Amino acid sequence: MAGTASPRSDLPPGGGSSVDDRRAALARFLASAGGAPAVEITSLSPMRGGAIQENWSIDACFSGGSLAGDQQLVLRTAAPTGVTESLGRLEEFAVLKAVFAAGVTVPEPLFASDDPAIFGKPFFVMQRVNGTAAAHRITRDNALAAVFPTVAERLGRELARIHKIRPPRPDLAFLPRYEDVGPCQQIAAFRAYLDSHPMPRPVLEWGIRWLETHLPPPIQPVLCHHDFRTGNYMLDGADLTGILDWEFAGWGDPHEDIGWFCCKGWRFARLDREAGGIADRSPLYTGYESEAGRSIDPERVFFWEVLASVRWAVIALQQSDRYMIRGERNLDLALTGRRATECELEILMLLDPHGAPTDA
Amino acid sequence: MRDLPTGPVLLDLARDVLLNDLLPLLPPDAHIDARLVANSMAIAEREAIAGERPAQQLRRELESFYADAALTHPAPRAGSTLSRIAAEGYPDLPRRLAHDLRAGNFESSEVLERGARDILWQLTIGKLRRANPRFLAANGFG
Repeated sequence: MAGTASPRSDLPPGGGSSVDDRRAALARFLASAGGAPAVEITSLSPMRGGAIQENWSIDACFSGGSLAGDQQLVLRTAAPTGVTESLGRLEEFAVLKAVFAAGVTVPEPLFASDDPAIFGKPFFVMQRVNGTAAAHRITRDNALAAVFPTVAERLGRELARIHKIRPPRPDLAFLPRYEDVGPCQQIAAFRAYLDSHPMPRPVLEWGIRWLETHLPPPIQPVLCHHDFRTGNYMLDGADLTGILDWEFAGWGDPHEDIGWFCCKGWRFARLDREAGGIADRSPLYTGYESEAGRSIDPERVFFWEVLASVRWAVIALQQSDRYMIRGERNLDLALTGRRATECELEILMLLDPHGAPTDA
Repeated sequence: MRDLPTGPVLLDLARDVLLNDLLPLLPPDAHIDARLVANSMAIAEREAIAGERPAQQLRRELESFYADAALTHPAPRAGSTLSRIAAEGYPDLPRRLAHDLRAGNFESSEVLERGARDILWQLTIGKLRRANPRFLAANGFG
């Protein structure tokens, strides 16, 4: 149990089967966790998005305690099918608490529970932040173009703040050791996946071979978000209100998050803006370096950017597998598999100095 | 022999009806799914028009490449899909290419490496012409 404020409901196991039951059990949990005599939930509805996790919007009124008054909250729990690499919800809650304490702009984590009687599965509750995370809308928003460099600079600072968290951390002891999740292990995992995949992917094999032969020297690991990108932060106008989705957090090379943020797969409507589709790299790097007090190594970023394209391609194929193999009826997931070829084009563009043959 | 209108023509018309007649009638929450359906139909239409030609062309290029290459292949890891394919005599040339690239089998020859990379470009650009021509154009491949 990662959360310190995680009282158990006294509902019998198997309760919460209907929306009304869930609402009642959740209200009792929130009251107990928040030290309130009672909590009234005025709205409980699933939020769109989140292919791996389920997010529920909660409007609640606390009759007392530390959250007295009206509160807008989010409950986060696992979707019916997810990916094995992601953290459990209580672990994600612990990461969120750690980064919140480090001054990173995130929704304030409040409570967590693994009692299935409340919501059927483990969950945590956090404050809801205003704004949008819709990446296509953000990157197309011409009204924000003038402030995007400032947003990128701020994101650089936020990322550096995350990276100030280093092992060992007793509160994050569940995170795998960096030695077990570094680039060599990622390469082995990519290959193991491709071995099991029904279709050969020669471009990915070529990219992975390049990674294998261009490994960067070892580095002191830091806490990485591992999915730090446009689409996973909330913007309220020009204001950054929260960095979201910490389910892949773990120890890593700090350049890993920078390469992921800049990789073409996460630039959405603006491929020309290399920092997440919102700006060029310069403000992102400036913000990062000023907060971190150390320089970014462009060669390391390049390595991780190539790896990011491979990783995104494998994730895209795995998302498609959820339909192709596991039978999850979801057109969005099925189509995501097609994005692997977009990543392969980027791998070729990054790694082949000669470019495409004229007859391609 | 198939009746007219052909499958691709029907897909094109159905997509037009979906986007221009049905989508405006749908609640906003359903627009994303309707566009995903339209996108799926567009991919299916382009792939139906292309038929087996892309796979046949890739096979010809790989046969020509390997005929020129005369490579020796180290045994792949025991128990892997690749090792099973190897045992069957590499009937699947794209898989053979994947194995050779993993093993670095072309790295000692600039000519072979260049030839393999040309095939990778052709394979990738060809797939994107059918799956996502807009993305291809946005990357400078009209």
